[in-house]
Amino acid sequence: MKNTALRLSGIEKSFSGVKVLHGINLSIGEGEICGLVGENGAGKSTLMNVIGGVISKDAGTMEVLGEAYSPVTPADAANAGIAFVHQELNLFTNLTVAENMFIEAFPVHMGKINYQKIRKTAQEKIKEYDLPVAPDMKIEALPAGIRQMIEISKALMKKPRILIFDEPTTSLSFKEKEKLFHTINGLKGNGITIIYISHILEDVFALCDTISVLRDGNIISTDNACDVTKGEIIQKMVGREMNQIYPAIEKSITDEIVFETKDIVWQNKVAGVSLTLKRGEIVGIYGLMGSGRTEFLRTAFGIEKPDSGEIIVHGERIKKQTPLQSIKKRIAFVTEDRHQEGLLLQKPIFENLSLVALPSLSGKAGVVNRKRERKLVEEAIENLKIKVSDPESQTAESLSGGNQQKVVFGKWVMNAPGIFFLDEPTRGVDIGAKFEIYTIIAEMAANGATILMVSSEMEELIGTCDRILVMKEGRITGEIGKEEFNQEAIIRLAL
Amino acid sequence: MKSETNGIRKGLQNICRDAPILPILAVCLVISCIFVPNFASFYNIKVFFLQASDLLVVCCGVTFVVLNGGIDFSVTSVLSLGSVIGAYIMVFSPIASNPPMAIAVAIIAMLAVGAVVGLINGFAVAVLKMPSFIATLATQLAFSGVAVLFCSLVTEKTSITGLPDGFFILGGEGGYFMVPILIAVAAWTFCFWLLKYTRFGRSLYAVGVNPKTAYISGIPVKKVIMLIMFISGMMAALASVLSTARNQVGMPSLGDKLFISIMAAIIVGGTSTAGGFGGLKQTLLGVLFITLINNTMNLLGVDWYVITVIQGILILVSTMMGMVNGIGKRKTKMMVLEAKK
Repeated sequence: MKNTALRLSGIEKSFSGVKVLHGINLSIGEGEICGLVGENGAGKSTLMNVIGGVISKDAGTMEVLGEAYSPVTPADAANAGIAFVHQELNLFTNLTVAENMFIEAFPVHMGKINYQKIRKTAQEKIKEYDLPVAPDMKIEALPAGIRQMIEISKALMKKPRILIFDEPTTSLSFKEKEKLFHTINGLKGNGITIIYISHILEDVFALCDTISVLRDGNIISTDNACDVTKGEIIQKMVGREMNQIYPAIEKSITDEIVFETKDIVWQNKVAGVSLTLKRGEIVGIYGLMGSGRTEFLRTAFGIEKPDSGEIIVHGERIKKQTPLQSIKKRIAFVTEDRHQEGLLLQKPIFENLSLVALPSLSGKAGVVNRKRERKLVEEAIENLKIKVSDPESQTAESLSGGNQQKVVFGKWVMNAPGIFFLDEPTRGVDIGAKFEIYTIIAEMAANGATILMVSSEMEELIGTCDRILVMKEGRITGEIGKEEFNQEAIIRLAL
Repeated sequence: MKSETNGIRKGLQNICRDAPILPILAVCLVISCIFVPNFASFYNIKVFFLQASDLLVVCCGVTFVVLNGGIDFSVTSVLSLGSVIGAYIMVFSPIASNPPMAIAVAIIAMLAVGAVVGLINGFAVAVLKMPSFIATLATQLAFSGVAVLFCSLVTEKTSITGLPDGFFILGGEGGYFMVPILIAVAAWTFCFWLLKYTRFGRSLYAVGVNPKTAYISGIPVKKVIMLIMFISGMMAALASVLSTARNQVGMPSLGDKLFISIMAAIIVGGTSTAGGFGGLKQTLLGVLFITLINNTMNLLGVDWYVITVIQGILILVSTMMGMVNGIGKRKTKMMVLEAKK
């Protein structure tokens, strides 16, 4: 019989009168990998914050390796041997790899940091985890996948007994993910207990021994991974049947070419991409991290200036493409990073929604027509089913991920665009909201809009697109039509 | 009954959130009326509003810059240089013999100074992407230097006197004291309208909060910043007209002491120096508050340097309170967010 590494009993937590955790009971055996899944808003983050000592619990008890555990600060959690690897990377991009690894406790000799020592130790860690970096490299120069690995090695330096991963694979490529899983399995072999939180069920099944489902602040079930199916887990997460999570909406594709690129080159990321989009079409771009898919989309919208190549919108060649130009041509761009580039987080939803449509809402003199603005905002909120009580005072920050993403969609939809560029449109969005977003996309296409969508979730592309282009190393390596969709064929083109 | 008290409480909460200075202003006003001799006299109230007019006009422009997360040091040099150039035209130029004409040309020239400085700042910040801190510090140094040099070149003295009487109407001379006050109110109203009801105003807030999101959403970020710096220069020039007329002298040191009052008024009013939050209502209250401090301290015969100490402390305290408030707000927001999860 294995020892219990972490035991939670009756954990409760309320925020301003709203109960978020309703008595969580969970026990995880030593050396086990426990997957924790649940929709956004199920209480996962709150539970993790309670375990990590970030917030205090209202009721219940916790035990770590048989000892009572009641953390008051994150430092207490660290002392008890609990470490976190967060979804948002906590690395200092302006510092080096070695400095980041030691940031919490620099080895000091007479007030001076012992750089020789940290460099040496960092080099050992780098070797241990097989990272393609040097200790003196600045974090800002490294891709997201490697940053994640550095984050993990940083967490491991504290020699934790329990390691908690919060959505670690969202920004990782296929290969990096494999490596990560290999690392995690290695940790398990060393007797470290792992809690693995993820939206990506495939990963959870591939990795975890047990899977616990959290819904509305309760643990609905804990099963051995081999005893349940993905469908069952999804059902438990949402509490309803979800056989067909992709909407089927009748639409027709015309032969009219609305958007075209010829040999787009941008730095060393995009190496000559040509494509054509027809009216009413949903086209997917699949590619692994670093394949240049996001960079291509940004160049096509005019955020980055292509080094060479042509962009043709409605048969007209665009010379100097900027976001403003693209918007005038009724192109929309939903960014993959809604916090940094998609929203005015601290501003009310109202102001976020009308941002793109401002020119069309104001006359030549530049005076905004408030009445029309209010009407359009109300329409957008209703059409996109954005859950908001008062759009004029509630900030975008206060919304859940899914609703935030709908606000980003909404601000573009208000400008009635004909072409949509979507970069990871469902990243960090729970399953219920995902379905709503797929429906929005399908409806837009049915209304004659053209959609070009980049995603790292292959299933999502297969479910929503008419054809899929696969990118690798800045080039399009193949195109697959709806009839021939096949995961293996796609991944083969991408690898 | 309950809903009524709730309504009042909500109203008070809103005031505390949007304009925490309002209750403090009211209390200080009452105290001044009771304890400061001559404060409530007609003459002093007139002086109070005249002092507030100059400050309000220049603060309106700088508020735009601060809302964009920047700062404009150069406004004080616009005040000084505008004052000297305007006075020169009215006193020494060939058209000085024709006062109405000279006054008109002088005002146009003063506004032109503001336009030029504003455009240089705008170019430096928007196109060359210099931090406004550096760009406007540079223009401030350069143009206040020019003002001193120009003054000493055209006259041996450190100021230009002998301005035409007609010009003093703009300073509120005699029975015309409502003129500068109305000009200031009109300028404030225009800026308020610009900020609240136009595309430019809305874009300004967006750029102030997150320029990246603004750019991708099709907001012409460069144009907006250019316009902000231009408006700041123009408002400083208008303040220069009012202030020169009130002081009845063209002085290259006109703006020297003003900067701390400008920043104090804006920050104490409640506009965030991080950009994106606050506005002209706050600035109006801040201007009244700082003018009140300056005015009462003057009446009490307090030394100017003591006043600067007080203003410094006010800036410090209100920034601190703003931060505490901001953090508090963020925390509650996070809790709400968590609660939803």
